[in-house]
Amino acid sequence: MAALTDADRAELHADFMRRMDMQTFGSCPLTKSELRAAVDAMDAWIVANAASLNTAIPQPARGALNGAQKAMLFSAVVERRYVKGA
Amino acid sequence: MASGNTLGTFGARDGVPPGSNYATQDTRNNIPVLDFDATTEETILFGDALPDHYGGGGITVDVWWMATSATTGAVVWGGSIERENAGGTDLDSDSFATEQLASAVNTDATSGKGNKSTITFTAGANMDSLVAGEPYRLKIARKPADAGDTMSGDAEIYRVKVRET
Repeated sequence: MAALTDADRAELHADFMRRMDMQTFGSCPLTKSELRAAVDAMDAWIVANAASLNTAIPQPARGALNGAQKAMLFSAVVERRYVKGA
Repeated sequence: MASGNTLGTFGARDGVPPGSNYATQDTRNNIPVLDFDATTEETILFGDALPDHYGGGGITVDVWWMATSATTGAVVWGGSIERENAGGTDLDSDSFATEQLASAVNTDATSGKGNKSTITFTAGANMDSLVAGEPYRLKIARKPADAGDTMSGDAEIYRVKVRET
């Protein structure tokens, strides 16, 4: 799996700052470059751990869901675990 | 006219958006503000006439702003002036003088507290040769590509003051 392009990471970075401003996650104690470093590191971590995550998905879901569906499911689990009620 | 005396003030609702990439009208605790993005350069326009008692000493523009959510980092503002004297500029197109930049100012550690940046225009070309009594436009932009602009998220202008330098 390839990392996101620089343009994709920049767009994600900009969109995330707008989400932070519009939603009530609280204040943001990071500069733009510090936040961008977090974006880059998380993307790199996903690249490094994508195969392991895929292996952790039980059958039949692993074989039946396509990549986008697995990504949506992963995002939903992370969001429920860390964002709900935050 | 003495140095430091006020020549005009603008609130967020006085801002006129340009055709694209404009600061967004918003409110914060019922205070009108203009939101400027952290990655895309956005601008807003204010119009006024320079008072007849302006003494020719150049002008200084004070910009009061808050961070929408950030509690660290700095913002850089730019300002440029367009003289709109009778028989002068063709107002069918923009004719702003060279943009002048404020120094980077760190945001307060509490996002709802105000910050003040200052943009200085020397008399003459930097002010598009604007003189007392003439109408003008003031364009204010956040400069997100400037190395000094490090603050994440929007910066919100809530007041602008023009005074004689």
